[in-house]
Amino acid sequence: MKGLFKSKPRTPVDIVRQTRDLLMIVDRNADTRESKREEKMAELCKNIREMKQILYGNSESEPVAEACAQLTQEFFRENTLRLIIRCLPKLNLEHYLLQARKDATQVVANLQRQQVHSKLIASDYLEANIDLMDVLIEGYENTDMALHYGAMLRECIRHQSVARYVLESAHMKKFFDYIQLPNFDIAADAAATFKELMTRHKSTVSEFLSKNYDWFFAEYNSKLLESTNYITRRQAVKLLGDILLDRSNSAVMTRYVSSRDNLRILMNLLRESSKSIQIEAFHVFKLFAANQNKPPDIVSILLANKSKLLRLFADFKTDKEDEQFEADKAQVVKEIDAL
Amino acid sequence: MSHIQETHDQQHEPTNIRRLQFPLDPNSYKILDEIGVGVSAVVYKALCLPLNSAVVAIKSIDLDQSRADFDNVRREAKFMSLLSHPNVLNAHCSFTVDRRLWVVMPFMSAGSLQSIISSSFPDGLSEPCIAVVLRETLNALSYLHDQGYLHRDIKAGNILIDSNGSVKLADFGVSASIHESNSSRGWCSPSSSVFTDVVGTPYWMAPEVIHSHNGYGTKADIWSFGITALELAHGRPPLSHLPLSKSLVLKITKRFRFSDYEKNKNEKNKRFSKYFKEMVGLCLNQDPSKRLTAEKLLKHSFFRNCNKGLDFLVKNVLHGLPSVEDRFRIIKSPTLSVVPVVNKSIGDEDGEDEEMEDSNEKRRRISGWNFNEDGFKLDPVFPTDSEDDSVVKQVRFGGETIIQNKGGESKGESIRSSSLDQPSQFTQSTCSSSSSLGQVGEETRAVSLVQERGGESGESTPGELGESSPSSPGQGRTSGGIIDRDIVMQDLIFLKRNLEDERQTLMQVFRLLEAEEAVEATREEYLERMVERLRSELESEKKRNLELELEVEFLKMQIQCDN
Repeated sequence: MKGLFKSKPRTPVDIVRQTRDLLMIVDRNADTRESKREEKMAELCKNIREMKQILYGNSESEPVAEACAQLTQEFFRENTLRLIIRCLPKLNLEHYLLQARKDATQVVANLQRQQVHSKLIASDYLEANIDLMDVLIEGYENTDMALHYGAMLRECIRHQSVARYVLESAHMKKFFDYIQLPNFDIAADAAATFKELMTRHKSTVSEFLSKNYDWFFAEYNSKLLESTNYITRRQAVKLLGDILLDRSNSAVMTRYVSSRDNLRILMNLLRESSKSIQIEAFHVFKLFAANQNKPPDIVSILLANKSKLLRLFADFKTDKEDEQFEADKAQVVKEIDAL
Repeated sequence: MSHIQETHDQQHEPTNIRRLQFPLDPNSYKILDEIGVGVSAVVYKALCLPLNSAVVAIKSIDLDQSRADFDNVRREAKFMSLLSHPNVLNAHCSFTVDRRLWVVMPFMSAGSLQSIISSSFPDGLSEPCIAVVLRETLNALSYLHDQGYLHRDIKAGNILIDSNGSVKLADFGVSASIHESNSSRGWCSPSSSVFTDVVGTPYWMAPEVIHSHNGYGTKADIWSFGITALELAHGRPPLSHLPLSKSLVLKITKRFRFSDYEKNKNEKNKRFSKYFKEMVGLCLNQDPSKRLTAEKLLKHSFFRNCNKGLDFLVKNVLHGLPSVEDRFRIIKSPTLSVVPVVNKSIGDEDGEDEEMEDSNEKRRRISGWNFNEDGFKLDPVFPTDSEDDSVVKQVRFGGETIIQNKGGESKGESIRSSSLDQPSQFTQSTCSSSSSLGQVGEETRAVSLVQERGGESGESTPGELGESSPSSPGQGRTSGGIIDRDIVMQDLIFLKRNLEDERQTLMQVFRLLEAEEAVEATREEYLERMVERLRSELESEKKRNLELELEVEFLKMQIQCDN
C-alpha cells in the first residue's frame, strides 16, 4: 500500500529543471487569467524553497556538498539565473510569493559561492551574461526590488571580473545617489555594496581609482563628504580612510593628500560636532600631516591653522582607550608643531 | 479607532503598497508620547498625518551614540523590512532625521508583556494565557529560524501585544542572519554553531552563548524562549533576584521585585500542568542539540491542547490594563532608566561601562544552571571538585551565588550558612582546589570582582573572591577572615551529594512522566501517522499531475515556437 503512490524522490537536477520550466511559463504569460496560474506559482515557490533547503540545509540537517554541486551545475548550465532575475518582480501581491522572492534571493546569493570541481562556475556564467548586473544595479531605483537585487549584486561582485565590470560601467556614478536614497534600508544596502566594490578586490580598485581619479573624487567630495546628510558624511569619511590607508592604493593616497581642496574638506569634517565623524576625519587628516613631501599650499594652510589645530587635538580623545589613536595623534601634533 | 485597524493587517499587504503608504519625512508624523527608552533609542507613539492620522510607533535611534553598532542598526532596518510574518513586528519604513534613525512601526497598543506583567500581573500570567502568548511567539521563532535568522534576545520585554490580542516578536537590534554571516566554514545550517559573540540579555542567555567560544545557533533562542516561559509564569526570569554582577544588576534587576520569589514558589508550582513543565524542560536542556526546534515545540502537547484564540488574551490580560503611555510614565518616574521596549543587550552598550568590559567577559562564563522541572525553576549549579559529574560541573557566580541562593537549597542551608555567612574571602588556593572554581580563581577576574565590590557595600554579598595568596591574607582590602579550606571542601562535598540525590529523584520523575506519556500518545499517534501518510500520498499524486500538465504545456510551447 505504502509507496504505491510515491513518486521517486526528485534529484536536485529535477528540481532545477522544473523550476526553469515554471519560470519560463511565468516569464511568457503575463496573462493572470491563465488557467492554473496560481497552482503553477505555488509549485514554483515550492521548488525555489526546495533549492534553498538543499543549499542551506535546515534546522535538522546540514547541506550535502554533492547535492549542492549538482544543483549549481544544472542551474548555470542554462539560463536559470536570468529567468529568476527577470521573474522576481512578478512574485508579488501574495504573501507566499513575497516569501519566494526572498528564498530566490538567498538561493542566488548562495550559488555565487558554490564550487563545482573547485571552480566557481557562477563566475563563468556571469562573465557571459554580464548585462544582468545592469538589471541588478538599477534595482536600487525600484523600492520593491532594491533589497533583493542588492543582496544578489553584493554576492555577484565577489567575483573579481564582475566587480571590474561594475566599477568600469556608467553605473558607478549612480551609487553616489543611491547611498542617499530616502529609504534608510535601501540607502544602507547601496552603501554596503559601494563599500564592497571599493575595498574587496585590491588590484582592480587601485586600477579603477588611478584611471578615474578626477571624476571619482570630485563626486566623492561634493556629493558624499559635503553631503547634508549626517549618515552619508559619516560613512563616506570612514570609507575614504579605508581606501586611502590601503597599501595597494598608496599612489592614489599620495595624490589625494596633495590637494588643498581635499584638506579643506577634511578640516571641516574635523570641526563637526559629531565625535564619530571627527575621529574618522582624523584618520584621513593624519595622512595630510604625515606626508613628508607636503606641497607648499598644504603647508601654508596647516600653518595658518596651526594654533587652532593644536588646540583641537589637545583635548581630542576616543571614548575607549586607543593606543594607536594616541600615537597617531602625538605624531600629527609633532608634525604640525614643527612647521 | 478605525485607523488602528489599518495597521494591524500590514503583514498581509504587499510590500509595494506598504512602502508607498508611509512617508519618509518626519514632518508627516506627529509625536504624541514617549513609550519607551533605551541606551541609544527612544520609542514614541505617533500619528502619521497623511494616512488619516494612523497610529504608529517610532523608534528613534541615536546613530551618533551607537558608534560601534552601526552595522547592527543597518541589519535591524534590513530585517525589519524583509521579514514578514503575522507574529513578527516589522517596519513600515525607516529614514534618517539628522543624526537619528527613525524606524516607523505598527503601534502595539498593549505594549510589551514585561510591562504588562510588572504593572498588572506581578506573580505571572495564568497558564492558558501563557500558552497563547508562547504559541504565537513560537510561530515567530519558527519562521525566523526557518529564514535563517537568530533573534538572540527573546524575552517578555520583546514580545508585544496589540489591542486585538495579536502577539508580535520585536526588537531585532541584535539579531543575526546565518546566511549572511561570513563564517569561515562557508554556509552552515541554522542549527549549527555559527556565532561566537556574546549577545543578549544575561538572565535569558543560553549557557552556550555565555560560553560562547564554542559557538551557538538557533537553539540559543530556544533556551531564551524557555526562560521567557518561566518569566511569564513567575513574573520574572529565574534567578533575577540574584545580582549577576554589578553592571548587570544595575541594568536589569531593578525591573523585578525580588522580595517574594522564594516564598511563593511552592504554591505557584501547583498551578502549572505537567505538559507546561515538560515543554519548558525541553527548552532548557543544557545540551543545545537536545533542545527541540521551534517547529517541533509547536507540536508539543502543551500547545496542541491550547485551543484559545487571541480574544482570550484580550479578555484575560488586556482588560482593564493601564495604557502603555501611562505605564511608561510610572516606570520612568524616579530612578529607573531601563525600560523593556527598547532595552538593550550587553552587546549594544559599548562605552557605557568600560571599566567592566574585560571582566564581564569572564564573569559571564561562570554561569550554569539546571532546570528543575519538578519545582519549575532553574537551580543554580554549585561548584564541585569531582570530575565525573559533568552535569554539576559548571559554577554560577562564584561565592556570591552560594550565599544568595541558599534559601532555595533546603538541606545544605545550615552548613553553608555556618561557614559562609560572615564576610569572608575565598583564597586562591581554595578556588583552584575545585575544578570549576578554578576559573573563578584567575587573577584578573578576581581582581576586578574585588574592585567592583568595593563600591557596592550595600549589597548583601558576604562571599568575596580575592587574589591574595594564603600567606598574605586579606591584603588591606576587606576585613573578613579567610575561609578554612577544609570546611569549604566539606561543604562542597556535602552539596554535591545533595545535588546528586536531587538529580536521581528528578530522573525518576522524568521516567515516570515518559511512561505516562507513552500510553496516552499511542492512539493519537497512530491516527496522526495515518493522516500523515494519506496526506503525502495525495501530495505526490498532485505533484505527478502537475508535472504531466507542465509537460503538456511545455510541449505546446515548443510546438508554437516551431510554427
